[in-house]
Amino acid sequence: MKGALEVRAITKRFGALTAVDAVSFTVAPGEIMGFIGPNGAGKTTTMRICSTLELPDSGDVRVDGISVTEHPREARARIGFMPDSYGAYANTTIHEYLDFFARAYGIRGDARRSVLERVIEFTSLGDLREKHIDALSKGMKQRLCLAKTLLHDPAVLILDEPAAGLDPRARVELRELVKALAGMGKSILISSHILTELAEMCTTVTVIERGTVRGSGSVESIARGVSGIQRIYARSIAGAERLERALLELPFVKNAHIEREGVAFDFEGDEAAAASLLATLAGAGLGLCEFAPKTVDLEDVFLSLTEGRLQ
Amino acid sequence: MNAPATTGVRLEDRVNPILVKEVRQALRGKYFRVLFWITLLVGTLIGVGIVSAIDEISFVETGRVFFMAIFGVLSAAVHCFVPFSAFLATSAEWDENTYDLLIISNLRPRQIVQGKLLSALIQALLYYSAFGPFLVFAFLLNGIDLGSVGVILAGSVATSVALTFVGIAASSLATNKVMRVVLMALFGAGLIAAWGMSMGLAAGITFEPQVLSSIEGQVAFVAYLTVAVVVALLAQSIALGRFAHEEENRSTPLRVMSTVLVLFASAWGAWLVQQFGDSESIFACHSGAAALLFFPWLISSTEPEELGRRASAVGPKGTLATLLSAPFLPGGGRAATLCFLQALLAVVTSQIALGFTASRALRLDNSVLAVAALYAYLLAYTVLPAGVAAYFVQRRSARVLLRILMVVAIPVGIVIPAMLSMFFGSGPGSALSHPLNPFSTLYDIQFGAPSPFTYAVLGLALLLALLVNAPRVFAGLREVLRARASRVQQAEDAPRA
Ligand SMILES: Nc1ncnc2c1ncn2[C@@H]1O[C@H](COP(=O)(O)OP(=O)(O)OP(=O)(O)O)[C@@H](O)[C@H]1O
Ligand SMILES: [Mg+2]
Repeated sequence: MKGALEVRAITKRFGALTAVDAVSFTVAPGEIMGFIGPNGAGKTTTMRICSTLELPDSGDVRVDGISVTEHPREARARIGFMPDSYGAYANTTIHEYLDFFARAYGIRGDARRSVLERVIEFTSLGDLREKHIDALSKGMKQRLCLAKTLLHDPAVLILDEPAAGLDPRARVELRELVKALAGMGKSILISSHILTELAEMCTTVTVIERGTVRGSGSVESIARGVSGIQRIYARSIAGAERLERALLELPFVKNAHIEREGVAFDFEGDEAAAASLLATLAGAGLGLCEFAPKTVDLEDVFLSLTEGRLQ
Repeated sequence: MNAPATTGVRLEDRVNPILVKEVRQALRGKYFRVLFWITLLVGTLIGVGIVSAIDEISFVETGRVFFMAIFGVLSAAVHCFVPFSAFLATSAEWDENTYDLLIISNLRPRQIVQGKLLSALIQALLYYSAFGPFLVFAFLLNGIDLGSVGVILAGSVATSVALTFVGIAASSLATNKVMRVVLMALFGAGLIAAWGMSMGLAAGITFEPQVLSSIEGQVAFVAYLTVAVVVALLAQSIALGRFAHEEENRSTPLRVMSTVLVLFASAWGAWLVQQFGDSESIFACHSGAAALLFFPWLISSTEPEELGRRASAVGPKGTLATLLSAPFLPGGGRAATLCFLQALLAVVTSQIALGFTASRALRLDNSVLAVAALYAYLLAYTVLPAGVAAYFVQRRSARVLLRILMVVAIPVGIVIPAMLSMFFGSGPGSALSHPLNPFSTLYDIQFGAPSPFTYAVLGLALLLALLVNAPRVFAGLREVLRARASRVQQAEDAPRA
C-alpha cells in the first residue's frame, strides 16, 4: 500500500528465544499506531526489523510497498527510525550533527540548508543550533533525534519510546509534533510504556506480549475483541446490593462488583442477550436508573490482554 | 553561513560526510590538540639540544643524528598516535550507539572506512608539515641526502596508512566493550613495536645510505612497500566486512583478497627466483604471505556457520559453479574449505614457479617442502582450533574471545613446550626447537633435516584439522546446494505467481 507500513508475519529468533513470533499489522498513512507491551515483549526487535537493522528469520515488511528484506537501501530512504537509545557524537553541535546526517542521506547544497532550517524550526531547536550535543538535556536530545529522523522526509516513522524521560510539558509538545506529522499523511508506529499518553494521540494500538500480537485495532474494538466481553455499569434506586444480587443470577454476567452507588460487571453475551438482560432488570422492580457500557481505557485493554509474565 | 562559489558548493557536497564529521571531531578533540603540541614541543627541544651539542658530534654525523631524533618523534606521531586515533574514532561508533544511525542513513561501508582513513591521514599530514622545517634543517646540516629522506618518508607514509587501516579493522572487530579494550591493548603494543621497527629501518638507511644503491636494498624497499599495501588492503576488506550490515555477505571480499595474496606470493617468488636464481625466495615470499594470511584465516574460519538469508538469495545457477563458489561464501566450514584449498594452491604454484622459471626437474624442492610445512602450521594454528571451537562456541562475545585466544596460542605453543623441556632437563640450547615451533622446524627444513617426530606431529595436526572440520565442511557445501535449489525453485514459481 502506498505510504503504509505493512508488517507481514515476521518471526525472529535469538538462539532458543523467539523474540518476535509471526507478528503482523498495518499502519496506514495518517494513522498513529501505538505499540504496547511489557518489557521484553519484542517491540524494539519488531521495530528494528521494520527499519532494516535486523533481518527476520521469516516474513517480510513492506514500507511504501518496498520490501525491507529485498531492497533495504530503497526502504531505508522511506523510513525514519528513532531508536530507544540514540548516539551522540562528541565535539559536535546540533547544527553539525543534523548537517552530517543530511549529507549522509545525500541531501545536497541548498536543499540541505532548507531541510535543516525546516526540521530545526519544526522541533523548535532554533535557539540551540550552536550548542554542543554533549551538553543537551534529555528532552532536547529527544527533539534532536526526532529532527534527525525527519531529515529525509520519510513516509513511515518508527519511534521507539520517544517520550521516555520527558517532562510533562515536553510530552505534550511531542504529542503535538507527532499529531502534526500524522496530519501530513505519514504512517507512524510509536512504542511507549505511558499508556495515557498513547491513548491521547494514537488512532490504533497493537498489543504485543512475548513476541505475539495479543490484539490490534482501535482501543474500543480490541477491548470488545478480547473475548466478546463488554463492561457495563448499572445503577438502581433500590440500592447497589440488591442490584448486584439480581445480576449474579442472570446469564452472561461475570465479575459483578459494587462501584460507587452502582454495579460494574463484565457481560459476555451478544447484543440480543444484552437487550433481554436490560428487559429483565427493568421488569424486576429495582428501579433501574442507569445502564451503560463503561468506557474502557488503554490500561484496561493492556492489563486484560497481557499476562504480566516477563520473557 | 556565507554563500560560497557554486563550484565550492558542489565540491563541498561531494566530500565524504564521515570525513567532514571526523575531521571536525578530531581537530576539536583534546586527543589530537594536546598530542600535536606536545610532539612539536618535544621535537623542538630535542632539536635544540642536538644543535647546541654540535661541537661534540662529528660534523657529518650531526645531520644524521638530528634527522633520526626528529624522525623518532615524527614516527611516534604518525605511526602511533594517528593509527590509534583511527582506532578510537572507529570504536566511538559502537560506544555511542551511532552505528545503527549510520546504517539506516544509507552510508556505504566504503564511505565509512574511507572517511575514517582520510581523516587520520589529514592528521598525519598536519604532523608531516609541522615537522617539515625540521627535516629541511637536518638536510642543511649535511650528512643525509635527499634520496634517503625520500625513501624514509615514503616508507613512513605507507606504514602510517597501513597501520591506520589495521587500527580501523581491529576496532571494528569487537562491538563488545571489554573485548575492545583487550584489542586496544594488543593494538597499542603492536604500534609501539611498529614505532621501534620504523626507527630501526630509518636508522639503517640514514647511517648506511649505500644499501639503497644495491639491488637487494631496492628489492627490500619494494618488498616493504608491497607488504604495507597488502596489509592495508587486507585490513580494509576486514573493516568493510565489519561495517557492512550483519546480515550482508561480509566475508567474500576478504576471501577473494586472501586467495589473490597466495597467487601473488607465488608470482613474486617466481620473479625473484628468476632474477637471483635462489629457490629460497619462494619460501620467503610465502612466509610473508602466511604471516598476513593468519588474520583472514583466523577471522573467516571462526565465523558462524549459517549462510544468512541475503547470501542465500544470490549465487550461480549451475551445480558445479555453486560448488566452486562455495568456499568464498560466508560461514566457518566454507572458510575451512578455502584455507585447505589455498594451502594446496600455495604448494602447487610454488612448485610450478620453481619448475618453470628455474627450469628444474619437477621434484620436490626443499623450499617447496618448507612452503608446505609453513601452510601446515598455519592450518594447525587457525583451522584446527577453529574447527574444535565450532562445536562449542555460539555467542558473539565468545567468538571474539576465541579469536584473541587463538592469537595468543602461537607464543604459548612455542614457549610452553620449551619451558617444559628445560624443566625436564634437556639443555636450554635445543629447548626452543620442538615440533610446535614453526620457526625452528622451518629453519630445519631449509638448512638441516627435522626429526621424523616433527613430521609426525605436523602430519597428525593436519589430519586432525581435516577430521575436525570435515562435518562442517560438508554441512557448508550442502547448505550452499540447498540454497541454490530453493533459488531455482523460486525462479520457477515466480512467473506463475
Ligand atoms: N540481539 C539480541 N540477542 C539476543 N536476544 C535479544 C536480542 N535483542 C533482543 N533480544 C531479546 O528479545 C526479547 C525482546 O526484546 P525487545 O528489546 O524487542 O523487547 P521490548 O519489547 O523492546 O522491551 P522493552 O519494553 O524493555 O524495551 C527480549 O527477551 C530480549 O532479551
Ligand atoms: Mg524496547
